[in-house]
Amino acid sequence: MPKFWRKVFLIYLKDLKDEFRTTDHLLSTLVFGTMLVFVFSFALQLVEIGTAQVFPAVLWVSIFFMAILALQRSFAKEQDNGALDALLLASGDRSILFYAKFLFSLTVLLLLEVVVVPLLWIFIDVAGAKANLWFFLGAVFLGSWGLAAVGTLLNGITVQLPGARLLFPILLFPILIPLLLGAILCTQGALVGEIKAVSGWMYLLVIYDLLFTILPLLLFDYVLEG
Amino acid sequence: MAVKDVLVVKELQKQLGHKQILKNISFQAVTGDLLVITGPNGAGKTTLLRILAGLLPKSGGEVLWNGAELALDHGRVGYISHQPMLYANLTVQENLRFFGEMYGTMGAERVQELLELVGLWLYRLEMVSVLSRGMQQRLAIARALMADPTLILYDEPFTSLDADGREILRQVFEQHRDRSIQLAITHEPQHFAGLTYRHLGLDGGRVVERGYTHA
Repeated sequence: MPKFWRKVFLIYLKDLKDEFRTTDHLLSTLVFGTMLVFVFSFALQLVEIGTAQVFPAVLWVSIFFMAILALQRSFAKEQDNGALDALLLASGDRSILFYAKFLFSLTVLLLLEVVVVPLLWIFIDVAGAKANLWFFLGAVFLGSWGLAAVGTLLNGITVQLPGARLLFPILLFPILIPLLLGAILCTQGALVGEIKAVSGWMYLLVIYDLLFTILPLLLFDYVLEG
Repeated sequence: MAVKDVLVVKELQKQLGHKQILKNISFQAVTGDLLVITGPNGAGKTTLLRILAGLLPKSGGEVLWNGAELALDHGRVGYISHQPMLYANLTVQENLRFFGEMYGTMGAERVQELLELVGLWLYRLEMVSVLSRGMQQRLAIARALMADPTLILYDEPFTSLDADGREILRQVFEQHRDRSIQLAITHEPQHFAGLTYRHLGLDGGRVVERGYTHA
């Protein structure tokens, strides 16, 4: 395995070990996601509206809020005890950190979704007779990929700034608008079985994800300077 | 005789906003040198060390490592800060193994050797979070040495160390003379008594004093 990816993998494994040893943050994010599911499901029972129309928006609002909590953790844990400096020295190439943190964030996000998405599906009682499950899973995966990539990049930019916790979601949201729009429309298309109508949005998700996965290779050297 | 590494700092400047932190700092060091840097708070000592580590970009001047511009990946840098720079939720051994694997100097023997050196072998399975601050600092020393460094930067390394810990650190200074350039920031130069070292005094971002102390 090339040295670059070996280091990415080592940091990724270290982060997973660290995260699962103290599951308080993961659990609190999961509890938050579950609460969102209940709040949305109760609220939607009060109105007469087609679940296939409302489910995608509710799903991505839930994922977005969980992502804000989950993604901030990846670099914050390096700030404790000043470990970020030691990690930068050991990794040599700053973009190694991006890819390790991106993979970690994506893993955490997908783990949270494994619980929250089925819960939301059940509680909102989605009529999924015509649903294309693979297209749905593809949309969720690509949306999560983009969230993790942009979130990791912005987290790297803001982590050393004062007020990072406030800045992060403020900067994150406008950059994510095309991704969220595409993810919502693809999810909706998957639910009603009309995937041809939204295939263009699926391509946009792929391009968006590739862009924000490759861009940090050029940018990350400057991101963590300071 | 082993080839000596050469660190040349020439007219080094660092500006943060409107404030000039470092003003034309110049010095040289070769393998074997222990350079003790003193100065009041805000003199620019930590900024200097962070630039030498490659963690902070300089605003002007040159920092040359064996004639080439210094960068984060120029070689093996051991950095000991007043913060332990460790992972609290990993054990003592896991911390060292992780950094060893990152540096490619992984080896159970090396981990044991360093933990014995800093007196933490018996604590190898303890979480870093339960260690005292002084023990964390000892582990930080072992972590920095895991890199098998050619340049070791110490920022207030005696922080929180007890008498035994201070003696261990003095041993580290001596043991790494033949293979490293060592730069140490301190407010307590008395801890270096009995060691041969060069002295650089900083104030207001300038070098105001140079000296040499022979053991």
